[in-house]
Amino acid sequence: MTTLGDTLSASGVSRRAFLKFCTALTSLMALPPSMAPAVAQALAKAKRPSVIWLSFQECTGCVESLTRTNSPTLENLILDLVSLDYIETLQAASGFAAEEARQHAMKESNGQYLLLVDGSIPVADGGIYGTLAGESFVDMLQESAKGAAAVVAIGSCASFGGLPKANPNPTGARSVSDIVKDKPVINVPGCPPIAVVMTGVLAHYLTFGKIPELDAQRRPLAFYGETIHDRCYRRPFYDQGKFAKTFDDEGARSGWCLYELGCKGPITHNACATVKWNAGTSFPIQSGHGCLGCSEPDFWDNGSFYKALATADWGGAKAIGTAAAVGVAVGAAAAYAARKRQNRVSKEG
Amino acid sequence: MDLLTFVRGPGMQWAAAIFVVGILWRLVGILLLRGKKDLSEPRKPGWRGLRLLALRSWPRKEFLGGTAFGEIMGYTFHIGFFVALLFYLPHILFFEDVAKGLIGVNFKQVFGVGWPYLPGGAVYFFSAISVAALFAVLIHRIASPVKRMLSNFDDYFSWFVTIAPIATGMLAFSHFGGPYPTLLGLHLASVELLMIWFPFGKLMHAFTIFLARGTQGVTFERKGASL
Amino acid sequence: MSAGNTTIERPLVDKQGQMPEAQRTANAMKAFAQDFGRTASIYLESCIHCGMCAEACHFYEVTGDPKYTPVWKLEPFKQAYKREHGPFALFYRAFNLKARVTEGELEQWQHLLYDSCTVCGRCSLMCPMGIDIAGLISNARHGMAQAGLAPKELREAADRGSAPKDFKDRISRLAAEHGVDIPVDKTKADILCTVSSTEIEQYPKSIVATARIMKRLGANWTFRSDGYQANNFGLLAGDAQRQKEASMKLIEAAIACGAKTLILPECGHAYGALRWMGANLYGKPLPFKVLHISEFLADSMRSGKLKLKRLGKSVTFHDPCQSSRRGGVIDAPREVLAALGTELKEMFPTKGTNWCCGGGGGVVDIRRADALRHKVFHLKMNQIDETGAELAVTSCTDCRKTFDDGQARFKWDKSMNSLVELVANNLIEA
Repeated sequence: MTTLGDTLSASGVSRRAFLKFCTALTSLMALPPSMAPAVAQALAKAKRPSVIWLSFQECTGCVESLTRTNSPTLENLILDLVSLDYIETLQAASGFAAEEARQHAMKESNGQYLLLVDGSIPVADGGIYGTLAGESFVDMLQESAKGAAAVVAIGSCASFGGLPKANPNPTGARSVSDIVKDKPVINVPGCPPIAVVMTGVLAHYLTFGKIPELDAQRRPLAFYGETIHDRCYRRPFYDQGKFAKTFDDEGARSGWCLYELGCKGPITHNACATVKWNAGTSFPIQSGHGCLGCSEPDFWDNGSFYKALATADWGGAKAIGTAAAVGVAVGAAAAYAARKRQNRVSKEG
Repeated sequence: MDLLTFVRGPGMQWAAAIFVVGILWRLVGILLLRGKKDLSEPRKPGWRGLRLLALRSWPRKEFLGGTAFGEIMGYTFHIGFFVALLFYLPHILFFEDVAKGLIGVNFKQVFGVGWPYLPGGAVYFFSAISVAALFAVLIHRIASPVKRMLSNFDDYFSWFVTIAPIATGMLAFSHFGGPYPTLLGLHLASVELLMIWFPFGKLMHAFTIFLARGTQGVTFERKGASL
Repeated sequence: MSAGNTTIERPLVDKQGQMPEAQRTANAMKAFAQDFGRTASIYLESCIHCGMCAEACHFYEVTGDPKYTPVWKLEPFKQAYKREHGPFALFYRAFNLKARVTEGELEQWQHLLYDSCTVCGRCSLMCPMGIDIAGLISNARHGMAQAGLAPKELREAADRGSAPKDFKDRISRLAAEHGVDIPVDKTKADILCTVSSTEIEQYPKSIVATARIMKRLGANWTFRSDGYQANNFGLLAGDAQRQKEASMKLIEAAIACGAKTLILPECGHAYGALRWMGANLYGKPLPFKVLHISEFLADSMRSGKLKLKRLGKSVTFHDPCQSSRRGGVIDAPREVLAALGTELKEMFPTKGTNWCCGGGGGVVDIRRADALRHKVFHLKMNQIDETGAELAVTSCTDCRKTFDDGQARFKWDKSMNSLVELVANNLIEA
């Protein structure tokens, strides 16, 4: 197997460009700058591992995010650093040829390949709601995970079930970690995840040969350790009590906090507020829209995107009306029983 | 289901339902008991006695000596608590959502201006004095022979379910003690505990104060007795 | 007390009857049940254990003993209510959240409900929640009386009925002795007057004074031997039946002579008993006006029918709790004192917040409570001394009895005076 260093120089990537990339990568992984040479050394010597990318119940947004570039960038470099042996959206092959390539790669790199998954996995009715080449997604995932060194669940659908899992979840959509139990799973959620977050996670694995530090939801702490709220540039307005009341009102135009318009920043862990999107151009809040909380589990079922975080589901008028009727009825019954008892006791003996 | 999702979902639904059922059960269970008509000739119209609702809000100066501490601490707690509850935007948004759901309109639609709110720091200050007052009254309850003798589980548990939401609110606001989503989850969980306990203990004084003062006011006013 | 150990110690608890414990408790619960209902419920559900009622109570004030906290005196009644009658009573019983009231508990509470409570109502006036604690004390006494656990002095007086039995004879002797006309048993009269048994026994001059005033007014009035005793030991003992019997005598006597007005004597609880509770016992509105004698005097003064000499002295007025704070007769006595040309020097506190003399509610008749009552009396002595008034006046014979007893005990230099006697002694004759 050729090393990454060989591949890069063969592609005409200068040593200087490579070092620049490694420096950027070092800081991206929240490592001290002094580690940049070590990162460069390790990467240059790293073998180009086989990566198999399976796509299940997905919208392809994760792949789109990953490849959304205007010029050769970090993302492209990453793609050259691995041997992407199977990816439906981008590969040239199709049909039986494609499946054969996958089987071949899995056999060749058994126990060593990295399995990337985007999209959730339907399990209802024997998994009939997602099939490829006659095989259900569930079976495909389980089979593919057997020989993988690690599994990376790309995007919220793979990490937590995402949109397909939203109420009422007719297809029985599940996350990767619901199905793969005996292999290390890294979740890289987001709808979609930030491009450089995806590549940064992969780079970490390639550089150090092990999984980065994860939080309780198996998300890399380097990118998901803080909430949007903690790093949001509009935080001073939150603290001062300056909130936009409607989109495009005075407050909105002044760039005030979007809490009242449904921003879920306080409870959402992601790097959007610092790393931002499209090479640091902007992120939803900066564009005037509240955070959807898309890197959190079940964000589709967590209440309206436009209702403030403080508005919990209190049941609705009908439920409260029923409760009121029950309360009055039980109270009346209690009073009736008390009066009867009073009559009885006050007369007996 | 994680804590925050639970307390923003089924937890809140059940707490709200129990809150409503319990309060109405207790109030109706009291009000539908046997009443006795007063056939004596009134000296004055009894309804004028409703002024006792306001009059009894501060003791007569003759009684102020030993009661000043309790009165001042009581007001400090209640004012701090209500300012934090009613003038903090996230709380207002919650109440507006409930109002919209129950009666179809919110404050702004009726009055043209939105319900006013204070910056978070000001709310934090009011919460802090409220918590301080609660500790003061707890110490007094334990130290005073009269209160110690009178006190039971209800007194101490009601104290706890009252201080917990304020304290957890302060912790969540200052992101102190854990990850924010967890702190927020604990705050909502403590609010739900308060809602569930509310109808069954002394916290119902929020309603019974009107019934008792009103009853004494009307009964005594028709006699011309001292209010 | 005599020297040497010949005095027999009375047990701390008075018991009537030979009932087994379970019977006593059952009787108490039966009486409690009769008092439950919306009003009692509203009050008993509202207590927040703030303890401020203690600050208003003279017994707590002079002893500092927390057991005299007014709402604590209600504990058996409150306990029974929560267990039997409240909205969650089922759960209180099912999980024993409040235990059944025991006979031992009721015995312990006799001292608290009788010896250390004059039903003065300062606690009700203080309570931030507006609970009428004093009213509930009267309810709780019903249970005690039914359980045969009332103090013996009150029990005996309640059972005695109208006293003294030789009322008519006493009145005619009094009339002869003082040369004043005192009609008894007229078949038709505009005004029925009544007396306190304490007046007949200890302050007969008040009755003479009343007669003089009535004569001066030219009123068509009478006493009736079928209904004369306005003070009500049934009320004080907590015996609802005896209370009703006593009140009905007055009501029927008034009806019998077609009286349009019934005047209650100088007595606190007699006022509450008939003016406010009478109609409810009767079952319909009373067909006559009920006035405290001080109200009657004030009315007469205002209408110009009664003219008084100017006393030219400074006075202070002790408000009898039941007629003043709880009954609403606060200004009338002061109007009369003003008409007497006196300089009114109010004590502090006064009117609705005045301290109780410590003898009301039957306490002055309970011998074993004397020591406690004497402690309370210091409050009154200090209050009155501080005014610097020349005369102390009140309009209640039980208060007067308490003051006279205290005066003797402490060799106090001030005597209590009766408003009615003051008026009678200063009438401008026609």
